[in-house]
Amino acid sequence: MPQNDKAILSRLKEQKVEFVIIGGLCGVLHGASLVTLDLDICCRFNRENLRRLEAAVKDLHPRHRLTANKLPFELTNHLCDTLKNVYLNTDFGILDCLSEVLGVGGYEEVWRQSVPHSLSYGEFRILNLEALIAAKSAVGRGKDLDAVKLLLAIKERKAQQNELF
Amino acid sequence: MIDEETLAQMNGKYVCPPDAGPAWRAAMEYGFDMSLVEDALRLTPEQRLEQHQRALDLVLEVKEAGERHAAK
Repeated sequence: MPQNDKAILSRLKEQKVEFVIIGGLCGVLHGASLVTLDLDICCRFNRENLRRLEAAVKDLHPRHRLTANKLPFELTNHLCDTLKNVYLNTDFGILDCLSEVLGVGGYEEVWRQSVPHSLSYGEFRILNLEALIAAKSAVGRGKDLDAVKLLLAIKERKAQQNELF
Repeated sequence: MIDEETLAQMNGKYVCPPDAGPAWRAAMEYGFDMSLVEDALRLTPEQRLEQHQRALDLVLEVKEAGERHAAK
């Protein structure tokens, strides 16, 4: 299945989903030479925003990718009130939506520790470098700790060049 | 006549920026190709995203080819 991050991001933007890009793609946007196979976002988990998320992917055959039977992503008010995370497979690839980020906090805190990035198809918020390092350190898997080494180098380099991060 | 240093660089020796700090050197020593990071830092975020998409497409293409081969 292809992973088309641009297409997914465009759709989220079109539907006005409130979200912050986190994870590997956030590292890529900061300059890390990594390849990541999914798109991770932190979003506000309330009914309104989850319904926007649903609208953004509804014609992409979204399914809960971690459920045994790959259940379709069809929200009810009960689900909106109880879900903490949504892990989706769509026709445009994987989209993982988290309500909080380990090492950073819930959506409000994630938003506070994010920075805007303008792309040709809209302005997006991404976790700032410091918070991304905290998040990957908190997760602590081998691949995350590897990424931390790279992100620390980028942070150091940007500080030397007086670049904002 | 190419000097030895240039030849070494042609053969893949990475030269750290003279002002590279400890984290940069640590990442390099850990095995990251920091020349790729230097290149990425010269790009705009959108260019980085496009470059990533191309790399990802290639990775998935190779993965699919491997799966097809294994299925035969």
